[in-house]
Amino acid sequence: MTKIHKYKYLITAYLVSFFAVCFTLLPIIWLFMLSIKSKGETFTKPPKLVFDPTINNYINLWGNDLFKDTFFNSIFITLISIVLSITIALFAAYALKRYQIRFKTAFMQWLLLAYMLPEFLFVLPMFTIYQTIGLYDTYLGMAIIYQVHVLPFSIWMLRSFLEEIPKEIDDAAVIDGCGPLQAIYRIYLPLIIPGIVATAILNGIWVWNELAIALGLTFFDAQPITVGVASFRGYASIDWGGMTGSAIISMIPMVLFAAFAQKHIVKGLTLGSVKG
Amino acid sequence: MRHTPYYFLLPSVLILAFTSLYPICYSVYYSLFNWRWGDEKDFIGLRNYIVLLSDKEFWIIVKNTFVFAFFACFFEILIGVLLAIYIDRIKIGSTIIRTVLLIPLMISGISVTMLFKVMLDNMFGIIPYLLSFIGLKSDFFGSYTAAMPTIIALDVWWQTSFVFIIILAGLKSIPNEPIEAAKIDGASEWEITRYIRLPMIRSLLFLVLIFRSIDTLKVFDIVWGTTAGGPGLATEALQTYAYRVAYSFLEMSKSMTVMVLFSIVVIFLTILYSRLNKDL
Repeated sequence: MTKIHKYKYLITAYLVSFFAVCFTLLPIIWLFMLSIKSKGETFTKPPKLVFDPTINNYINLWGNDLFKDTFFNSIFITLISIVLSITIALFAAYALKRYQIRFKTAFMQWLLLAYMLPEFLFVLPMFTIYQTIGLYDTYLGMAIIYQVHVLPFSIWMLRSFLEEIPKEIDDAAVIDGCGPLQAIYRIYLPLIIPGIVATAILNGIWVWNELAIALGLTFFDAQPITVGVASFRGYASIDWGGMTGSAIISMIPMVLFAAFAQKHIVKGLTLGSVKG
Repeated sequence: MRHTPYYFLLPSVLILAFTSLYPICYSVYYSLFNWRWGDEKDFIGLRNYIVLLSDKEFWIIVKNTFVFAFFACFFEILIGVLLAIYIDRIKIGSTIIRTVLLIPLMISGISVTMLFKVMLDNMFGIIPYLLSFIGLKSDFFGSYTAAMPTIIALDVWWQTSFVFIIILAGLKSIPNEPIEAAKIDGASEWEITRYIRLPMIRSLLFLVLIFRSIDTLKVFDIVWGTTAGGPGLATEALQTYAYRVAYSFLEMSKSMTVMVLFSIVVIFLTILYSRLNKDL
């Protein structure tokens, strides 16, 4: 009796996950199919399920300098943001682990608040100061304002990875005459490489997908891919080739992450939010 | 040596001061002026706040934002938790299921809007086409009644897996002994879930609730990318409103007033979270 019950439960579980998987994948597959249809076949009724695939939409997008630039802009902004946040967070996380620090709780609270603040709050103040100091519409400017979100997250993450390292290792380093900088570089850094990878991936995903701040603080030179994709939206426009193709291009790097770094991402998501 | 830790914290403190404290101070300060882009700024005290709080339009937008956040959170947490409870049982194939369900989280909000705009398009979309067979005429983004539920559905598709991933990890970390004990005592699967599993992950449930509620209140991408707040004010949310006030009407001070008030709500929720989190 219990065995039948158990199988019933398992079958329901598989059914539920089957529907969830379909529900998740169908819109993406549909978008991809539209992106490889020719202009004539996009709008046929009934929609053609069998058609001659074409990569014309992608060729057009690659020839569209405005869109192509946004792709590379996003890569640079993402890389700079990651390097900045990991470097700065590593020192902060080390200090939080190794030393007694006054105002530690206040600092952690501040991190959480900065992480939670709404995006548009930053746009107008940063717009004016960036205009003055010449950071408006630059990679560095974007990477700096993104720190408000990725830096707190990196500090939590790296700190929790550092906590896992036993205290003895640390004491041994001090006895051997390691200064703090040497200790970070020689001992901790190699030990928390997996943590750094997870943090970098999650930061990268957030930066790559960010739209609200980018709309306000870029105009041309540093426009990221989200703004590039958005440029194909429009109420009257029926450039479905551009809409579907650009959306697929912007998804590919991140979906690959999901496939290959699934474990890191899951660990990072849970760890990062538990610490928050 | 005594000051070493503070040198290590200094870069973080400086960057966070520049990116979080400075915008807050700037916004609070200039919300006390009547600054329109290009005009002189005159100090007018709290008048922006008084005008805004007595503006009917503003309260409609506040209501919209909270309606969106409430229903989006409700469905995301309900579906996410149910999915996690079911998929927790699965041994074979669970990695692939989890990987697929993770995909929406990797996609930007603006791409999510593209996904659904082509599917729900009145003229050429597949869903209105299929609905026409059963005699339904649909207008997902253009009608007053349908626009908000549609946006909520988009967000549910996009963010449910956040709840799912965290709750699943929580369920996996529950020790086996209490569950075995309950089974021996003859408890049903449902009873075990209700009285053992869910209570054991209540701090995670709370965390998911806070993260999702703040995140849905901040909604921007999927509204801006689909309806841009329309039709009328039907889907306008606080952040899209602040964007429109600044970039279409050029009323900088008014926009900052909106963001200051909104940030107060977010800060309040965040502090509430860290207080309550200690008790759980």
